[in-house]
Amino acid sequence: MTTRPNGLPMVVGALCVGLLLAPGMAVAQNADIARDWDGHPDLNGVWQAIGTANWDIQDHPASAGPVDTGAIGSIPPGQGVVVGNEIPYRPEALAQKQQNFENRWTDDPEIKCFMPGVPRATYMPYPFRIIQGDKKIMMIYGFAEANRTVHMDKENPEPAPIDTWMGRSHGEWDGDTLVIDAAGFNGQSWFDRAGNYASYNLHVTERYTPMGPNAILYEATIEDDTVFTEPWTIRLPLYRRLEENAQVLEYKCVEFSEDLIYGHLRKEPTR
Amino acid sequence: MNRTRIALALVAAVASLGANPAIARAADYHHVHITASSPSEGVRWYNRHLDCEPVADRPDAANCAGVELIFVVQPTMGSTQGTGVNHIGFSYPDLAAKMAELESVGVRGSGVRLQRFPDGATLRDVPGLFKLGFIFDPWGTRIEMVEDPDTLGFHHIHLSASDPAATLAWYQDVFGGESASLKGQLAGLRFDDVWLLVSEHGEGTPATTQGRAIDHIGFEVADLDAAAPGMRGSGVEFEQEPATPENGRTSAKRAFLVGPDNVRLAVVETGWAGVAVERVAEAVTTDAEPYTVPQTPWGEPDMQGVWTGNSAHSIPLERPLDADDVDALTPEEAEARRERGTLGSIWGYEREWRDTTLGYVKTAPSTQVAMVIDPPDGRIPPLTAEAQARADAARGRFGGGRRLAEGPEDLSLFVRCITRGVPGLMMPSIYNNGLQIVQGPGFVAIQKEMIHETRVIPTEPRPALGSNLQSWLGDSHGRWEGDTLVVETTKFNGRAPYRGSGENLTLVERYTRLGPTTLEYQFTMNDPTVWTRPWTGMFRFDKDDDQYELVEYACHEGNYGMTNILSGARSVEREQAEGR
Repeated sequence: MTTRPNGLPMVVGALCVGLLLAPGMAVAQNADIARDWDGHPDLNGVWQAIGTANWDIQDHPASAGPVDTGAIGSIPPGQGVVVGNEIPYRPEALAQKQQNFENRWTDDPEIKCFMPGVPRATYMPYPFRIIQGDKKIMMIYGFAEANRTVHMDKENPEPAPIDTWMGRSHGEWDGDTLVIDAAGFNGQSWFDRAGNYASYNLHVTERYTPMGPNAILYEATIEDDTVFTEPWTIRLPLYRRLEENAQVLEYKCVEFSEDLIYGHLRKEPTR
Repeated sequence: MNRTRIALALVAAVASLGANPAIARAADYHHVHITASSPSEGVRWYNRHLDCEPVADRPDAANCAGVELIFVVQPTMGSTQGTGVNHIGFSYPDLAAKMAELESVGVRGSGVRLQRFPDGATLRDVPGLFKLGFIFDPWGTRIEMVEDPDTLGFHHIHLSASDPAATLAWYQDVFGGESASLKGQLAGLRFDDVWLLVSEHGEGTPATTQGRAIDHIGFEVADLDAAAPGMRGSGVEFEQEPATPENGRTSAKRAFLVGPDNVRLAVVETGWAGVAVERVAEAVTTDAEPYTVPQTPWGEPDMQGVWTGNSAHSIPLERPLDADDVDALTPEEAEARRERGTLGSIWGYEREWRDTTLGYVKTAPSTQVAMVIDPPDGRIPPLTAEAQARADAARGRFGGGRRLAEGPEDLSLFVRCITRGVPGLMMPSIYNNGLQIVQGPGFVAIQKEMIHETRVIPTEPRPALGSNLQSWLGDSHGRWEGDTLVVETTKFNGRAPYRGSGENLTLVERYTRLGPTTLEYQFTMNDPTVWTRPWTGMFRFDKDDDQYELVEYACHEGNYGMTNILSGARSVEREQAEGR
């Protein structure tokens, strides 16, 4: 590896080639990664997924957008992030997914500025910040003021007291991998703009494994007996934003959604 | 048996100070025990609206025509509904006039909530009985208002029983009371001229009264030790044997038992004057013992944890004009102030909304007179001439009258779930006062529970944002000055003003741990286009890791209020258009 002038180490060469070979993505033997006071990987920083998973976590061709904004508004093609590409929906759940897809321009929680849930928050097309403390790890996503507190200090994780959009997260280290057990979701989140979804029985096991100083392999195993016939996995790398001034900007989107949600209740209706 | 008295303990649930609910003290009559969150506010409310009299030297008791209401500070599990005590009753000679008076009070603040009948009326005339209506006190006690000239003032306690006849028989056996029929319509017992009435409980078993708005009912006997064997003979098993309680104001004894239908009962003896409540001191470290702020593993002052602003709720920003010479409130004044502030903010919410009444709040209310500490007079400095002109013009523009919201933009940013701005979002309020701080090397995340907003503060220099990148919460830069986190914020979009601040505001905040559980928060407002000089406010957060965890306040996601406000406005417009 080499070190860039700004001091941030960068992995080059054969390893990067290996990263492209999903799903068998290689994970570096992490001699070069930053480590915290305890010797665990130091995940502090601004990270971002690259790709089109937020449009559709499965393989998808280019297609037209919802309004006539020319090619700007079209939907880019993309390769999926689902290992094996197929999602093992139960038949009735697949019908629901298809109905979600039909109604996506009004029903997608994202279009309403609702919190994106997990794992979707991770691969929305915006940077997010990890603040890794000694008792909690906080993930701050910007969009819709979404964030998560990962409890690293609960020896006996309690179940979520109430169902929420972002769920309840308990973390622990498995070697150099941060493993997060997330549950307690409210079943209203989608995985993407294509209507992939789960119920409130969703249980996500996430694994954040450094691939080097500037990339994390993100894996999320999705379990929900009521929607899927078996567990399935999302896998994609997260990249460190290397710009010196990289930060997660405030993205309060409520006012951009008000016409969609309340337009029919205006004195002069807009919908 | 000895003449017993019903002690109506109206326990309006108040924040827990750890005391057992006190039984009503002896009055000339029976007493009823009630639970409330601020005894002095409870007394005030019943004095103002139901003509009960304060009791000398007992800030927690009111005398309602011989029946005492004793207000006990304890966590509340909710209103009276669903328990074995359905409501208490008060009688007035002219009910229509009384209900009109109560309706004019409104629900705002320490107001009166009316239960309307399906036709919208607040009372109805039940043939053969009397006129009646229902109201609620601010703490969830259901109160029947009746017009019964035979018994004015405190009129009855109405139980809800699985087997009303058996329940009445039990009360008569254990406490005496005269079998009677109210207007020939309702079987009951009379204790002197106060009624004990019973109706059949709807479904299942009534829930226990313990911890609910009416925590228990107290009966009075002349000599408890003398009366107890007889009660045991009637099958009573005391939950708490007769004894003089710790902090009892007199040597009079008290016992607890559970009556039919899970109704908690107390028996006290003549001379009972309640239990003095010990107050929890404000958690502020004294200067005598210098406090060493703990450090994070990476060597920065450690402020991590869950804090709440509950003790600071209701401290006014500016020093009241009549408090020039006041250094601090008394604990009683502070408690009453917080209760008024709480009730004033929620007008008509159920008390279960309030963290103070739920007993989550362990810290005593702050006795601080005002938040503004600079200027020293506690008043925000005068506006600049330009700002004053803008303010005057704005006042002229919005002259009087509430207007129907035409769209979301006509409602506040808070109602729209957009933001409370800064420093607005730091301010304590009636509920969801949690503040979580998580630190990583070089960063402090400050997460506020109310409508969920998170600020990320870098503590090392980072490039400033471009001048055209303004935002609701601005661009914050932090630094450590000793153990104090100093945060300077600029580049506001100016759309979420605090006290008139604008996009030129420079906000400087100082966070200092004064002790293991005390975090002092200072904010200095400097906007030369608004004020003639900067000013600074201060209040404290209390650490509460043990019991408090921030919930996800999905404000916009669950903003049914907005839908209801707008659809309500459209409905009113339709009615107006149709001339209704």
